[in-house]
Amino acid sequence: MRRWRNRLSITAVAFVLGLLVVVQLRTQQAGPGLAGLSAQELTLLVANLSARNDQLRAEVGTLERELTTIASNQSRGEDSVDQLRTELARIRAWTGLEPVYGPGVTITVDGPLDGPAVEDLLNELRNAGAEALAVGDVRVVPGVTAIGAPGAVVVGGIGLDAPYEIRAIGSPQALTGSLTRVGGVIAVLGATYPDALLTVTPVERLELPATTRTMVPSHGQARL
Amino acid sequence: MTALVGRIRALPSWQVTLFVALLALGFLIAAQLSAEGPRVRYTTQQRSPLVETALDLQAQQDALKAQILDLRDRIQALQEQGEGSAALVRQLNDRLEEARLAAGLLPLTGTGIVLRLEDSTQPVAPGANESDYIVSAADVRTVVEELWLAGAEAISINEERVTGSTAIIDIGGSILVNSAYQAQPYTVTALGPPDLWSRLSAQPGFADFFRARAETFGIRVSLAEPESVDIPAFAGTIALRNARVLVPSPSPSP
Repeated sequence: MRRWRNRLSITAVAFVLGLLVVVQLRTQQAGPGLAGLSAQELTLLVANLSARNDQLRAEVGTLERELTTIASNQSRGEDSVDQLRTELARIRAWTGLEPVYGPGVTITVDGPLDGPAVEDLLNELRNAGAEALAVGDVRVVPGVTAIGAPGAVVVGGIGLDAPYEIRAIGSPQALTGSLTRVGGVIAVLGATYPDALLTVTPVERLELPATTRTMVPSHGQARL
Repeated sequence: MTALVGRIRALPSWQVTLFVALLALGFLIAAQLSAEGPRVRYTTQQRSPLVETALDLQAQQDALKAQILDLRDRIQALQEQGEGSAALVRQLNDRLEEARLAAGLLPLTGTGIVLRLEDSTQPVAPGANESDYIVSAADVRTVVEELWLAGAEAISINEERVTGSTAIIDIGGSILVNSAYQAQPYTVTALGPPDLWSRLSAQPGFADFFRARAETFGIRVSLAEPESVDIPAFAGTIALRNARVLVPSPSPSP
C-alpha cells in the first residue's frame, strides 16, 4: 500500500514537472524578439503584416476562382487552352519574361552613385509595391545585381554612364511617397552622396523590356 | 563526513528521486514566474495589444501562405490532366512548368550552400555604435547579392523565397523578408553550381563584407555545404495591378 502511494506521488511530481518544462519552453519561444521591438516598430510591423495579408487574401481569391474555372471546364469536357494561356501570361509577366507597360516612376540618377546605393533604391521600390523594375535598359529580375564604385555602376553586367534612369511600374503616388518621405531613401542617399542628383518623376506610362536572362535553374529540379 | 555519506546511503532511493524532482520543480516554478514577469508588465502598457496583433497577423499570414501553396498545387494537378487538343495542352503545360520554375513558384532541390548570419557576441567597443554589432537588412541583402553574382540560381532566407518582388528591410533588430517577420539566426540557402562556395569566397565583394562585418564587429557568418539544399516555393502574390503585358506593335512598314 505504502509502495503504491510512493509511486503515485512520484508520478504526480513527474507530471507537474513535465508540464512546467513544456510551459517554460513555450514561454521562451512565444513571439521571438517581438517583445523587444518598440511601439513604433511594432506599429510598422503590424502595418506591413496587414498590407501583406490583404495581398495574400486577394491571391487566394484569384487562385480559388481559377481552380473553379478549370474544374467546371473539365467537368463539361471543355478545352482548357484559354485558361492555360491566361495563367502563362500572368506568370511570365510577373517574372520579367515579358515586356510590360504601365504607370510608375522614374528616378533619374545624375552624378556618382555606387552599386549598393542603386540596390537601396531598388529595395525601397520593391517595398513600396513596384511590380516591374529596370535600371537603364536592364530589366531587374532575381540574379540581376547593381555593383561597382561611385560613378562606375554595373547592373546585370552592363555598365551605366550617368545620367541614367531607374524605372518602376506601380502606383505612382505610393512609389513617389515612399521614396521621397522624410528620412526616406532619397533623403538618406542625398546626404551620403551630395554630388549625386536624384530626381523622382511620376509617369503615366512606362515601358520595360523583358529580361534576356535564362531564369530556369539548371542546378536544381522541382521538389514534389 | 563519513557519517553523512552513510546517512545518505541509508535513504531509500525513492526519497532521493523525489528530492531531485522537487528541486527541479522549484527551479522551474521560479524560472516560469520570472519569465512571466515582463509579459505581465507589458499588459499595463500600450505594447502588449500590438504584440498580440502582430502575432495574430503572423499566424494569419502563415495560414494564407499554406493556402496559396495548396491551391497552386491543385491547379497544377488539374491542368496537367486537362483535356482538349492534346498536343497544344501538353505544350502549354510544359511552358507553364518552365514559367513556374523561373518565377520561383515551385520548391527546388539541388546542389548549393547554406550561410547562417547571427549578431555579434563581442562587447560593444567604447564609442562604437551598438547597431554595428547586429545583422542588418543591408547585411542580408549584401549576402544575397554576392550569392547571385557567384552564380546562385535560387535563394531563400529562412523560409522565404527571394523573388524579383522581395524587399528585405530592418525592423528593430530583426528583418522583414516578403513582409514576413524573421527572427535570428538568418539562414540564407542558395542553390547553384557545386563550386558555389569557392566562387563566392573568391569574390572581392564578399571578402569586403566579411572583413567589414565579421572581422571588425564579430558578426557571425557560418557555412554549411550539405549534399543538397531545399529551397521553398514563393508563397506570395503574383498579381499585377498596374503592369500589363506589352504586345509588340507590328514593325512599321518601310
